[in-house]
Amino acid sequence: MNNIWGDMSQYNPVTWHWVIAVYLFLAGLSAGSLLIAIAMRWVKGDREESPVLKAAALIAPVAICLGMLCLVFDLTRPFHFWLILVNYNFTSVMSIGVLALLVFIPLTFLYALVVFRGQLATIGLGFLQGLADVLNGLRKPMETLLFALAVIVGAYTGFLISAMNIYPMLNTAILPALFLVSGISAGAAANAVVALLLFKTPAHDHELGRMHGIELPVVGIEMLFLFMLFCGLYFKGGAAAAALASLTTGTWAAVFWTLVVAVGFGVPLLSLLLPAQQRHGKGVMLLGALCSLTGVLALRHFILYAGQSYLG
Amino acid sequence: MNKRYVMVHDENKCIGCQACNVACRSENQVPDGVTRLQVRVEGPYGEVPDLHFKFDRVSCQQCENAPCVKVCPTGAAYVNDDGIVTINHEKCIGCQYCIAACPYKVRFINPVTLTADKCNFCTDTRLARGEQPACVTVCPTNALVFGDANDANSDVSKLLNSAPTYREKVHLGTQPRVYRIPARKGGIEA
Amino acid sequence: MIKLDRRAFLKGAGATGASCALTGVIPGSIAAVGAPALSGSAEAVPSICEMCSTRCPISARVVDGKTVFIQGNTEAKSFGGKVCARGGAGHSLLYDPQRIVKPMKRVGERGEGKWQTISWEQAYSEIATKLNELKSKYGPETVVFSSKSGSEHTYLFDLAKAFGSPNTLTHLTTCPVGMEVASDVMFGTGMKRDIGNSRYVINFGHNLYEGLDMSESRALMRAQMDKHAKLVVFDPRFSMVAAKSDEWLPIRPGTDIAVALAISHVLIEEKLFDKAFVDQYVEGFEPFASQMAEYTPEWAESLSDVPAKDIRRIARELAQAAPHAMINSGHRSTFTPEELDFRRAIFAVNVLLGNIERKGGYFMGKKAATYNKFAGEAVAPELAKPGVNIPKPNAKRIDQMDEQYALLWKMGGIYQSIIDTVNTNKPYAIHGWVMTRTNPMQTMTDRAKVEQALKQMDLVVCCDLYVSETAAYADYFLPECTYLERDEEVKDKSGKNPAYYVRQQVVDVIGDTKPAWQIFRELGVKLGLEQYFPWEDVQTLQLAQVNKDDALLKQIKHKGYVSYGVPLMLREPEMVAAFTAKFANARPVDEDGTYGSALKFKTASGKIELYSEEVEKIAPGRGAIKYRDVSFKQSNELYFIQGKVAVHTNAGTQQVPFLANLMSDNAVWIHPETAAKHGIKTGDNIRLTSSVGSEIGQALVTKGIRPDTVFAYMGFGSKNQESIRISDKGVHCGNLLPHVTAPVCGACVHTTGVKLEKV
Repeated sequence: MNNIWGDMSQYNPVTWHWVIAVYLFLAGLSAGSLLIAIAMRWVKGDREESPVLKAAALIAPVAICLGMLCLVFDLTRPFHFWLILVNYNFTSVMSIGVLALLVFIPLTFLYALVVFRGQLATIGLGFLQGLADVLNGLRKPMETLLFALAVIVGAYTGFLISAMNIYPMLNTAILPALFLVSGISAGAAANAVVALLLFKTPAHDHELGRMHGIELPVVGIEMLFLFMLFCGLYFKGGAAAAALASLTTGTWAAVFWTLVVAVGFGVPLLSLLLPAQQRHGKGVMLLGALCSLTGVLALRHFILYAGQSYLG
Repeated sequence: MNKRYVMVHDENKCIGCQACNVACRSENQVPDGVTRLQVRVEGPYGEVPDLHFKFDRVSCQQCENAPCVKVCPTGAAYVNDDGIVTINHEKCIGCQYCIAACPYKVRFINPVTLTADKCNFCTDTRLARGEQPACVTVCPTNALVFGDANDANSDVSKLLNSAPTYREKVHLGTQPRVYRIPARKGGIEA
Repeated sequence: MIKLDRRAFLKGAGATGASCALTGVIPGSIAAVGAPALSGSAEAVPSICEMCSTRCPISARVVDGKTVFIQGNTEAKSFGGKVCARGGAGHSLLYDPQRIVKPMKRVGERGEGKWQTISWEQAYSEIATKLNELKSKYGPETVVFSSKSGSEHTYLFDLAKAFGSPNTLTHLTTCPVGMEVASDVMFGTGMKRDIGNSRYVINFGHNLYEGLDMSESRALMRAQMDKHAKLVVFDPRFSMVAAKSDEWLPIRPGTDIAVALAISHVLIEEKLFDKAFVDQYVEGFEPFASQMAEYTPEWAESLSDVPAKDIRRIARELAQAAPHAMINSGHRSTFTPEELDFRRAIFAVNVLLGNIERKGGYFMGKKAATYNKFAGEAVAPELAKPGVNIPKPNAKRIDQMDEQYALLWKMGGIYQSIIDTVNTNKPYAIHGWVMTRTNPMQTMTDRAKVEQALKQMDLVVCCDLYVSETAAYADYFLPECTYLERDEEVKDKSGKNPAYYVRQQVVDVIGDTKPAWQIFRELGVKLGLEQYFPWEDVQTLQLAQVNKDDALLKQIKHKGYVSYGVPLMLREPEMVAAFTAKFANARPVDEDGTYGSALKFKTASGKIELYSEEVEKIAPGRGAIKYRDVSFKQSNELYFIQGKVAVHTNAGTQQVPFLANLMSDNAVWIHPETAAKHGIKTGDNIRLTSSVGSEIGQALVTKGIRPDTVFAYMGFGSKNQESIRISDKGVHCGNLLPHVTAPVCGACVHTTGVKLEKV
């Protein structure tokens, strides 16, 4: 039958587009970079501000703010965004996320103050020195809170889209975990890039090497979670299993196998096979980190688009 | 007693003529390019000569357990006093979470108000004037019946008690209030 | 992209003046000249729809001063207060930027799309001057006047007659003519259908669920759903009515007549017909019966692909349900050159079923005069016919070249005879064409010939709402106001009992537009024919209609639709009993409790004529109902058929914004087997080529069409550039149909052969 009922473009199931994928990526990146940097600091018991921590302290506020810009300008009424700050609905993941971000975002800035308290005068922020020193006194509870919030924010990006039970690929328990882990992976990679380029850290830096070493298990967990996601869909059958077609057909299958798997997982893992000398070279490390970032960004796109393309 | 407004779409009587589609647009001033209500004629399915069309009313299903209301961060999507899932356009920021979360894909951004929009059973227009929704008013073949299912004497209650009906995507727990009387040919695909 | 909403648009138009900077804007359109804000009645006004020719009773009101909501008038029970998509969308043309709201004059070549706006005064005086020039040079008959059927045609044809031209043509031959002529020949009058009370309905492509006629479409659904009537549909296409049927038989295009004849064969052979009815009311049964003897179901199967056993079974089932059973006589009857005998064959079956003036069968309209006579009292007021005595023009009509079309001369004429006359200059050359609300470029057949005819004219005047494909070739465009902006005279809407209704203005007139009656009256005055246009306004005319009974007029206007008495079918005992119970002075009933003895037909014999002397006289050999072989296509071609869609009226509504947004293309239905042979998939571009034209469109691969047939909804693929919303979208059916006129009934034939290819 001919279409006599009119335009159907509004019914495209893909509601959220790349801007949201970028937001999901940036929020995960912000949380992930802090998580890995703070965790390493705790494990090592550092007193010094390591290049990785500095990188994270810089990345976290910048990434989350860029992410928020994406989010706000994706609104159809961006100048009404303040409404979301004064109206809350506690059944809405987005509303809970707003609350978490309302604490997380200022904390990332305050934490940066703490981490860079030695350099404040040189970058013209000397007037904040007093505040930075006071906060440094509260560093442990602040880090604990920030760590907890980073876990929440990292997972939140997954919960945000998994809360919609119409999309079988999104509506899975594993998605927040997957996003959290891949956020950490992205965070580590971003930390490495910033540390190498901005803080002139030598490629053979011990801490950088250790962070690099964590990548293998992180990527392993990420791949495991992805495998579990797809298995879950497969065994659920019906519409869920039908969503697996996204792995074999269309643009998003190509994105998945090339950018997510080959570039995002393949290149960093293969680089581990290189002899230690080359493996720890600046170029290889940068390449590996950029590939990881590309992979995570591609994964957000794949999940968002393929996820929305199949309805339950 | 609370009202429980429901609509029944009889797919045997529906001829896919779009009178409802146009009446809705007229009454609710729905702008060009977007639609609150379509009846899609899908098919034909089956084998000649036993073919059949499926008549799919695509509009807000007025879920009792509405995903859009749950996900809306500002409470712009809410359940009105009359039980109808409604939109407070003042509060909507256009995050489109409700549009993404709607299992029936019947919410959209109104290009004039830039806020989410959808069928509300004409609650602010015709119901407020004591009339039936626009689509029900004009349906040439009386394929639509609307009313309060909590009133045992309403036409809609009687119909629900006497005819086989199904609803779309009940497995998602949405409890839609748009009921469909399946066509006598072909199976039910909810 | 999202289009401008009306308010934003109007603001824009106001701010930029005439919006002349926009490219492709027609000077007389709302886009160019703007429009005042909507103003009209917030209270519901009962009126009459004009989005198709059914003309349903409607009720419309302005909502919040912003839009108009239209629904059916609940006073008219059979219409149920309902309105279809077209009726509901009528208001969307009020403020359509494409709508023309100022008279225009062509400044470029014909069809080039160059216009300038002019005043009504200038339009009238220039047109009048040219008409009078043509009259003095060639005689008044050199100007033809054509119109869609309806009140417009009365206004325009009065002008034609007053001007002195006999050439008045309606859209009749492009639509219901076969059915109407057949009915006229057999019963001496038009017959109405009581579908709602039918228990068994056979339908030959009368697609009541897409070609909506609110009263009949509702009746069919009521019969099906509430009374469990069986519906059997013969149609090459799985139409909406086929989809809702109990049985769909995909018949070979153009062979419906064979099946209808075979049903008669079975009814007669198995003595399943109503002998008493035939004896009392039918003339010519014996020769008819012997003619039918050769039309066996097996013979019909060989032509139509409908299995003989199904034809026998269906005929028996039909007879079992008789008299509350019918074969629907259809509406658009332009399937085959054998329309007359096809429609007569259908009516013949109904006659054999004895369903005339029975529930679920056929009946004659009971207007006030007839009804009052039966009731023995003035149940319904009789309307006066305040006509004007205009002398009958002397010249021969252009369709009077062939005696076999004599029946048409008193009806709507043969529209497509314009094509012949332009080619042959017989009986004389025509030099002018004045038309209102008609689009022959689309509806006639052989578009190239219609275009040629328009180009050859010395004067073309079009009255319309939009620059239609035909109006694009006009010298003068006269913008009519829409039906929502005008009052008209009281109309008779009698069915089983008398009824009247009236069109009333809902919103203020937009732009410099006028109602048709006023346009043609003012043009008539300008032509110096004032004496033939005594009614200066509609109110005076209405008062004359009701014999100055102001209270009656008020009542009709207040309700919009008034009916009188109870339904009456002369041979239905139940109805006759209710009728006599209601009216004490009613005519006494016959012994059998009916008014059967009062049933008379306006034929020469006073009976139903299965054989027509009248037809035999004008077309020797065609008096009897017979099958004749017809060839529609070459063996390497596919049948090309068309039909109606629920959201458009023929070629009349494609530009209406709401409806254009619903559908502005007509993808061609192709069977999967046929598509596979040509490597065609849904959405592919295809070309259809017939003996007269070639069209490119999109494919819609579907099982809902026979493998030897392709189908397209009609009215699309407009070729004029003014209609930006629809031009070059879809297949132009008129460009593929050759100019063929059916014998006797004069129908345009809308079935032909086409070659299909992928492009």
